[in-house]
Amino acid sequence: MSGNVILDVRDMMVSFSARRAGRKYRVQAVDGVSLSLAEGEVLGIVGESGCGKTTLGRTLVGLVQPDSGNINLKGTEMIGAGGSGLREMRLSVRMVFQDPNASLNPRRAIGDSVAEAADISGFFKSRAGRSAAIAATLTAVGLNPSFAARYPYELSGGQRQRVGIARAILPTPSIIVADEPVSALDVSVQAQVLNLMMDLRDQLRLSMLFISHDLGVIGQISSRVAVMYMGRIVEQAGTRTVLDHPLHPYTRALVAAIPKPDPSKRILGAIEMGEPPSLFTRPRGCAYAPRCPMASDRCLVDAPQLRSAGADGRTIACHNV
Amino acid sequence: MLSVRDLTVSVGPETAPVDIVAGVSFGLAKGEILGLVGESGCGKSMTSLAVMGLLPQPGPRVRAGRVLLEGCDVTQLQPWQRVEAGHGRMAMIFQEPMTSLNPVRRIGDQIAEAVRVHEGISGAAALVRARELLELVRLPDPKMQLSAYPHQLSGGQRQRVMIAIALACRPQVLVADEPTTALDVTIQVQILGLLRELCNRLDMAILFITHDMGVIAQLADRVAVMYAGRIVETAAVDELFGKPRHHYTRGLMDCMPSRNSGARRLPTISGQPPLPGSVAAGCVFALRCAAVRDECRVATPPRLEASQGHEVLCAFPLAGGELP
Repeated sequence: MSGNVILDVRDMMVSFSARRAGRKYRVQAVDGVSLSLAEGEVLGIVGESGCGKTTLGRTLVGLVQPDSGNINLKGTEMIGAGGSGLREMRLSVRMVFQDPNASLNPRRAIGDSVAEAADISGFFKSRAGRSAAIAATLTAVGLNPSFAARYPYELSGGQRQRVGIARAILPTPSIIVADEPVSALDVSVQAQVLNLMMDLRDQLRLSMLFISHDLGVIGQISSRVAVMYMGRIVEQAGTRTVLDHPLHPYTRALVAAIPKPDPSKRILGAIEMGEPPSLFTRPRGCAYAPRCPMASDRCLVDAPQLRSAGADGRTIACHNV
Repeated sequence: MLSVRDLTVSVGPETAPVDIVAGVSFGLAKGEILGLVGESGCGKSMTSLAVMGLLPQPGPRVRAGRVLLEGCDVTQLQPWQRVEAGHGRMAMIFQEPMTSLNPVRRIGDQIAEAVRVHEGISGAAALVRARELLELVRLPDPKMQLSAYPHQLSGGQRQRVMIAIALACRPQVLVADEPTTALDVTIQVQILGLLRELCNRLDMAILFITHDMGVIAQLADRVAVMYAGRIVETAAVDELFGKPRHHYTRGLMDCMPSRNSGARRLPTISGQPPLPGSVAAGCVFALRCAAVRDECRVATPPRLEASQGHEVLCAFPLAGGELP
């Protein structure tokens, strides 16, 4: 980790109540996550569906209330902060969503969607200034300023996701929470949008929390990776360390399961790792133990805590490595 | 076994049809997996629906070409004729198993329904066969799952159920349209392994449609790359990944993040695919091709045979050097 820490999350807990077969359950979506983000740093969050990565992201932009924990943004505690603190947080931490079709209002012109957050915060002093800012933002994401007057249906998927990014960088955010921003895009368009996000990261010194299930994409854009499993971080380290030398058995399985674009390296039939357990019935010990080839008796009763392990700031939650 | 010849699927009025699939030809042998790969809108799903005789009505129609299953042209048959004549031994699985299963019917009944239609057996016997099918697709605890509802299963388990239903007609050809796209990689690898195993065990051919070159490399025996309604390159999987000849194939491989670990920027293919019918003359990829020449914009590219079984739709194909 280097540079100034601008976001520091401690012991965040988020749960939802759910009803199943007539019984009430409490689903612990995020179970004590701590992480920090330095200026200009991209932290990748990876895990299977249901591991809590999206809930974590939504909590950071204030869309979900955590049960407990701290979110410290540039030295100010955000949990329990009143109206002005929340407004500050919502302008500083912005979200890019997976599906640009669903996140853009079909009846609003692109320019108005892009300027929405700035309009609400009273950022613009004049109409001319507003138009100029919209034009500059659209240019920054590689769109022609004339797009301001168009509507979402006139745009392709890649262009819509550029608009999704544009509305997240106006007026001036410090942190982008990107939740699977390229998953819905074709591979050739995906590369264009990833390049754009990397350019913006460098030009605007943006920090990003980049949430994805795709380790290839994570490996491209992030400097550090945190692997989540059933609401907890199980391994965290520099990107190359995690991808090239995964230690946690879950990370190893994830890395091994990536379909490699090389017919000489076939893995089919070699991996049989079962399915994630239901969130309603969290195992008593390590949540990964039922699928883990290395699980010992201790893993079934004693949940491992995150501890530091080796170089590159690696932390890991496993008894057996 | 399956032979598709000059398949053309069109939309719009009879007098001015727009071809969304334009003269697609491929063959599929017993026990072979052909990967059909391309980006959204390239016509890969329309090709698979046309092969299955499942094009939405009214809408796109097969304007020309033939789909021969063991010599019988199935485009001429109505769906019920396909079942009755026994020529319909093709089945299909889709991307989202939740929308393909009936949410208010038990898994066992849904599989038994397909068994009854195809085997003409009823009641208990069909349920026995349903249980065998669930064992075949390696669903844990098949006896219990017969009485489960779709919402009680995970995404991967639902896709196994869909495969079981597809196998009920003992298909010679299984068409799989992005069956693992909605699944996690950890589940995807298991479903792909299952498909490969079934293909070998049942001597079944699979037409596997995907946008993911990684999945293709893992599963397919042969690959057909589709762009703007045309197959632009066909080759055995090792040949295609080792020596791609078409500039589009090469571009697709280059812009995959996993082939570029650590690179500062990802190579891209500039622009977007053309709208159907918008390219009046020349090569459909000319607008985005980095190696485009003047001829490409006016003359329809030839289908060249680069080597045995390796065809490319390009007037100036890549030399076929090894990829880095």
